[in-house]
Amino acid sequence: MSGEILRVDNLWKSYSETPVLRGVSFEVLRGEVKVIMGPSGSGKSTLLRCINLLVRPDKGRISLEGKEVFPKPYDSIHRIRQKIGFVFQSYNLFLHMTVLDNVRVGLIKVKKLSKEEATKRAMEALRIVGIGPELWNKYPAQLSGGQQQRVAIARAIAMEPTIMLMDEPTSALDPELVGEVLNVIRDLAKQKMTMLIVTHELDFALEVADEIMVLDGGKIVERGKPSEILNNPKHPRTRRFIERLRRRVEHGHR
Amino acid sequence: MGIVSAFELLAKYHSIFLLGLRNTLILTATAFSIGFALGITIAVLREFGPKPIRHLLAAYVEIIRGTPMLLQLFIVYYALPAIGIVLPPIAAAILGMGLNSGAYQSEYYRAAIRAIPRGQYEAALSLGMTTRQLIEVLAIPMAVRIAFPSMVNELVYLLKYSSIAYFLTVIELTYAGKIVGAETFQYLEVYTIIAIIYFALSMAIVRFCKFVESRIRVPGLGAPEATRGLI
Ligand SMILES: Nc1ncnc2c1ncn2[C@@H]1O[C@H](COP(=O)(O)OP(=O)(O)OP(=O)(O)O)[C@@H](O)[C@H]1O
Ligand SMILES: [Mg+2]
Repeated sequence: MSGEILRVDNLWKSYSETPVLRGVSFEVLRGEVKVIMGPSGSGKSTLLRCINLLVRPDKGRISLEGKEVFPKPYDSIHRIRQKIGFVFQSYNLFLHMTVLDNVRVGLIKVKKLSKEEATKRAMEALRIVGIGPELWNKYPAQLSGGQQQRVAIARAIAMEPTIMLMDEPTSALDPELVGEVLNVIRDLAKQKMTMLIVTHELDFALEVADEIMVLDGGKIVERGKPSEILNNPKHPRTRRFIERLRRRVEHGHR
Repeated sequence: MGIVSAFELLAKYHSIFLLGLRNTLILTATAFSIGFALGITIAVLREFGPKPIRHLLAAYVEIIRGTPMLLQLFIVYYALPAIGIVLPPIAAAILGMGLNSGAYQSEYYRAAIRAIPRGQYEAALSLGMTTRQLIEVLAIPMAVRIAFPSMVNELVYLLKYSSIAYFLTVIELTYAGKIVGAETFQYLEVYTIIAIIYFALSMAIVRFCKFVESRIRVPGLGAPEATRGLI
């Protein structure tokens, strides 16, 4: 078996005549971390949503571990989604459930694990993201943004996905909370979790990414080693975009 | 009139007052429960079900809301026997009120289901939940919390409107008052007693529901706690 986890081929998506993705192709190998960057509206979220079929692409091909997911899914969409962890910009924890229930509900209802087994796994996942027992019975609204996002990561990894998709996991956070979430993702990268991350955290990308892909106008305009892309971008638009990000960091804005 | 004669009335006719009270409570509780089950089912099917069923249920809700509840009770009690369904008065009243309340309650739950933030559904789908799992785990528990204040209104409304079971000859509270009044001609005392009982029951329901709400309340969902006391 090849080490290829995700393959996206010539993916197209339009919203009422407006093309958002215009022929995107790339692959993610087992244990790799790939980062997607690009200006607002370039189609980053749409791309991630297409991969776990929250959005239906118009054209192209997606496969997971060599098996076709789109256009002809090899299995039910629900079972395919179980293999793809998704972390949202706005956390999206279930508001009416405690931290522990948020993490184990998927294990109990979707994976049909016993409550004991699910609880054990949920606790393990929470431990990995550094959420201690004192928070397990709290509701999402009682947590900080950083804690909520770490619980959301725990909820995703507890399902033991083959790949994690993260859509700007730190961009809704106050600056002082970004670090704790990035540290968790760093740990996952060290554990060789396969990940596709949309982020504009330059230092983080430089450190963990195997490759950075720059999306602009629905196309990957540039891709390569993080050091090349960040220090020596070839495309003039990429250069301007990265300079803008640098300035934002220097001024402390996000 | 006087307090004394009111107490004398209560003492003398307590069995009929109690019968009326019992039937009013039975009517209210069972009609509300039927309406709850029906309302949730209609709401879920109208939001997640197949198209033809959605249209059918939309028509049902419109018909119920567009006709008087009393007429609906008459149809259940007097017209259904024509097709061989004969119900005792109290059963007919419960069924009629339940069918009516179900239509109204479905609108509360439907609005609540729609008020659930989109990201909640996306999170459920991304975990691999099927529509059925998502309904059970997310849509219903959240919708009930969001719609809770409307449910309390509906319960109090049913308590008061259960008096129309009178027209199907069910001896509920209002009918019991009528009977005692006709016998004693002390209408003022009798209806004052009845009014106080309804009022006390409404207050008790509201109090109890406040307590239940405080138990199922979840921070960040439903009426914001922070604004309470401020406004
Ligand atoms: N459901 C939708 N219906 C219509 N248009 C949409 C929808 N979702 C996204 N779009 C449009 O598609 C384009 C790409 O959106 P997308 O969210 O993928 O961009 P993005 O790169 O994630 O941007 P950002 O950095 O702001 O998150 C935008 O112009 C957006 O307005
Ligand atoms: Mg986006």
